Amino acid sequence: MKMTAEDIAFLSAIDTAKAIRARELSPVEVVQAYLARIERLDPTLRAYVTVTAEAALMAAREKERVLLSGAKCGPLFGVPMAVKDQFWTRGTLTTNGSRAYRDFLPTEDATVVARLAQAGAILLGKLAMSELALGGTRAPAWGITRNPWDLERTPGESSSGSGAALAAHLCAASVGEDTGGSGRVPAAYCNAVGLRPTYTRVSRHGLMTACWFLDQAAPMTKTVEDCALVLGVVAGHDAKDPVTSRRAVPDYSSSLKRGIRGTRVGLIRELHEHPDVHPEVKSAIAAAVETMRGLGAEIRDVSIPLIGIAGALYIAIGDTEGAGACDELLRNRSGDLDPASRTRLQAASMVPFKVYNRAMKARVLLRRQFIEALSHVDVLLSPTSPYPAPKHVELTAPFVDSDDLRARFFFRRAYTGSYAIAALPAISVPCGFTSNSLPIGLQIGGRPFAEETLLRVAHAYEQATPWHLRRAPGALAA
Amino acid sequence: MEWSKVERVMELSRLVGITVAADEAVEVGDRLYALLRELESLGSLDLTDIQPVAVFPDENEDDG
Repeated sequence: MKMTAEDIAFLSAIDTAKAIRARELSPVEVVQAYLARIERLDPTLRAYVTVTAEAALMAAREKERVLLSGAKCGPLFGVPMAVKDQFWTRGTLTTNGSRAYRDFLPTEDATVVARLAQAGAILLGKLAMSELALGGTRAPAWGITRNPWDLERTPGESSSGSGAALAAHLCAASVGEDTGGSGRVPAAYCNAVGLRPTYTRVSRHGLMTACWFLDQAAPMTKTVEDCALVLGVVAGHDAKDPVTSRRAVPDYSSSLKRGIRGTRVGLIRELHEHPDVHPEVKSAIAAAVETMRGLGAEIRDVSIPLIGIAGALYIAIGDTEGAGACDELLRNRSGDLDPASRTRLQAASMVPFKVYNRAMKARVLLRRQFIEALSHVDVLLSPTSPYPAPKHVELTAPFVDSDDLRARFFFRRAYTGSYAIAALPAISVPCGFTSNSLPIGLQIGGRPFAEETLLRVAHAYEQATPWHLRRAPGALAA
Repeated sequence: MEWSKVERVMELSRLVGITVAADEAVEVGDRLYALLRELESLGSLDLTDIQPVAVFPDENEDDG
């Protein structure tokens, strides 16, 4: 039976590629199906900054010719993808979420974008993000990106468009970016999968800088299997990014189905038992632990004492470096910035070196605590975020005072920022819903370069639960 | 005479070469002071033999 346009958009990236290779679907009809959805839903959701419709259709027609010629197809052949507007795209507007870059047309593609194209992916466009990959943008230049699960709520930051586009099935897969949680948090808030790979695993060439030693490309997908595929495509050494690792890139898909019997899983006490964790998030994580136990995992309690201040460490390091990266902007064009980004980076410009230096050293201690914990277990668990997606008005409200700022600004960032500053990989997978149908994310973290293990555990959990199958109301809107 | 938080922010901004708008100085100060307060506990950590590396070498790491 022939698939409808709606059916096509609900396929995973892998199933889309399979159907195209089997000639059950043509690349043109797949691209047209997504473009029709974007035209219908994106005026409300604002997931896209730029839709490259014409170029996508042209690429799809070319793929059809390739398919008919019998030439070899890459693993993402014909799959419509979209990337965060932080990645350079040759000749296509790349805004970094800021009016300051409203005219920026890069002269080359980011390595990630080039590798997706080499694997056969078709670029549908550039996805919205909070300004400069920070957060809390009060008046986004290209409109407020809405969460398809509840339009009043944020899809998460800073890869907001990636989260919203996946939840509404406006692309088959995406690559966002994760400096301190910017890929994992939108995944959690939008019921998607988001992976922060080990720093150095994926090239940052052509990725506009938030903090040069924390920024990482983040595969964001509908399923864990898709995530493994996309990571395999974009990972690996790149001469244009000298810090990228020369380690061989494993076939991340090959070990997905090995299960987790005997895998040692540590629940991070400080993050799970924090009194401010939303009770329904806590229950969902506890249920996830039991699911993993049922799958044969061995569950242990783990403590990482410094993790409580990881949110503040992340801001001290990431924002201070970010202020350095944006120095020219702050000195000469600060009027182009949203007030939230401007005041945040201005404050970061004034952090005393002594404090920055201590934070950098404390980061090393935090990493040692992680590595020590990971010498007893294979992976670590926690919520991705201690609460579900907040409302836009809550997220962007000016801070009342410094206590309000501490509560709203540092607390959540400990959950994802801790892995970022410790340079460790972590993945977020759907793990349930609150009573008002907001998605909850489970974060699984591991040792350096342990992406294979994270994906295997995430896949086992995903396949044992129904959460990833549920569709957002905003994806079904007429 | 002790300076107010806003006065300190304005002086710091002058020293680092950026312009903070008068109506945003309170927010900039709140952000900076909240961070400094949050990190006061770092003073009690023994950090003497730790090097503040930016990128961790990937040699000798477990493959997981």
